[in-house]
Amino acid sequence: MKAQRINGIERGEPITITVNGKEIQAYAGESIAAALLAAGQRNIHQSVKGGAPRGYFCGMGMCFDCVATVDGIPNVRTCVTQVHPGCIVETSS
Amino acid sequence: MTPQKPDTTEIAIVGAGPAGVAAAVIAARAGAAVTLLDENTNAGGQYYKQPTLTESGHKYPNSLASNIQQGRELLAGLNHPGIDLQCDTLVWNVSPEELVLYLCGPTGARALQAKRIIFSAGAYERVMPFPGWTLPGVIMAGGAQLMLKAQGLLPGRRFLLAGTGPLLQLAAVQLLEAGADIAAIVELQPRAEFLRTASKLWGHWDKLGQGIANQKKLLQAKVPIKYGHTIARALGENEVSGAVIMKVDGDGRPIPGSETTLEVDSICLNYGFIPATELPGIAGCAQYFDYNFGAYATKTNENLETSVAGIFAAGETCGIGGADVALLEGQLAGAVAARQLGLDPDTDEATLCQKQLQARTVAASLGKMFPVKPGLCALATDGVPVCRCEEISAGEVRAAIRMGVVQLNQLKPWTRVGMGRCQGRICGEILRQIVAHETGLALQEIQPFTARAPVKPVLLEEVGGAVADTGELTWEDHVGGYGVART
Repeated sequence: MKAQRINGIERGEPITITVNGKEIQAYAGESIAAALLAAGQRNIHQSVKGGAPRGYFCGMGMCFDCVATVDGIPNVRTCVTQVHPGCIVETSS
Repeated sequence: MTPQKPDTTEIAIVGAGPAGVAAAVIAARAGAAVTLLDENTNAGGQYYKQPTLTESGHKYPNSLASNIQQGRELLAGLNHPGIDLQCDTLVWNVSPEELVLYLCGPTGARALQAKRIIFSAGAYERVMPFPGWTLPGVIMAGGAQLMLKAQGLLPGRRFLLAGTGPLLQLAAVQLLEAGADIAAIVELQPRAEFLRTASKLWGHWDKLGQGIANQKKLLQAKVPIKYGHTIARALGENEVSGAVIMKVDGDGRPIPGSETTLEVDSICLNYGFIPATELPGIAGCAQYFDYNFGAYATKTNENLETSVAGIFAAGETCGIGGADVALLEGQLAGAVAARQLGLDPDTDEATLCQKQLQARTVAASLGKMFPVKPGLCALATDGVPVCRCEEISAGEVRAAIRMGVVQLNQLKPWTRVGMGRCQGRICGEILRQIVAHETGLALQEIQPFTARAPVKPVLLEEVGGAVADTGELTWEDHVGGYGVART
């Protein structure tokens, strides 16, 4: 399921970020989670014990279900972290 | 790790939502040096979260545009030389004797000593578990609102909204206006309860008007509102592809045989809100049980002073009240703190106090009408994870309860619930419901998790040097073993 950027809402500069080795389109000011959802990736994190799929849940940085490795730093909350040019995201699922 | 001298300020405010911003503006105008701290990239909190996409030019749907505009007007007040706004800054610990806050931000870890501290940390959304609730595509209703207004993104196409309270209908209207398809809203309370709520709000025309306007829009769009129903299951392998809803009895228990399956790709949940009390908790501020919202909150006197000298609390952390209450309490706390420092704020605290109490009364009657019902615990069948972080199932929790483990601080070492990255912010209130349901204990007899530093995971390498030179405190006192190492 691809999330939809709402028509008529002005966006920042287009930015390319790399997610699991693949380039995806994002815009300045977007959160990494927003860019992932817009690219159709809702499944962001694999739970440590059960390997269950997890994704964007609370949206405000409290649940840690949308964490990914960003520029080499693990456990970054994608919902409260903005994209930047050259940003490299690795998701565990 | 050499202890460093803390930075200093007159009034430190933690949380730049409606309460924190209102407090900062009043205190700074009175002449106080204010440091306003927030973990997020921008001020506004969740309620007044501003779009981060561009500086200007956005055509938001009506229901979002007015909220964004109100927030912008409030935030304009922060443009004052007396206010030092520090965003992306987590306050991860507090030392109440010296009024020192421990910060982790863009310039690394620091300590900040204040003459007065105001905690205005806001609230979290309350949710209840059911089979499939951890699937991607199940999100909190407020999380959906944040995607809409801060990101200009519609996080799904066809939605089910489930839970209880007025937020569900508001969020549905906002999603509709952004182009979503709403399969249904399932409201736990029966329809008669909803009408009784309306009668309690008689005279509060703005609140009633908002509710009626939302209902009208939902009716026009032919969105079914299923009163006395609950979400029972999220369907899907790797993400949501459907939902099962069920009728509930008077206790909120799902009625077998009443299942209906809906084709949806997204499910938004909200069962009200929970006060964020971690920092006042660490500071040792007394709490009270808020019967209207079924949760513990920070106790204050009429001047919003907590039980700890020099520490105030304002807004949701003192009990769920909404943005109107938060704005009034922020002003009151800011004014009283400034006056205690010998300044003369341009406010009439007695009037503020009166208005705040009135606003609290309205909020309380709303809270009372939308309780989480104990029968919902039946949806957390034994295989359903209750603690999402440590993946502890309802069955494991029930087994512990049968052994006599009924307090959250006992369940934690027994089962590992609440020991993960969210530190019990999501499972804590769910566990209180389950323990109450299993044992018959009253909710207020079940104490919440004890808050511990760091209140959110921090990098040990960052906070390692942050211990202030206040004499007796050591590195171990502050961090224990709770931090997250980088590798």
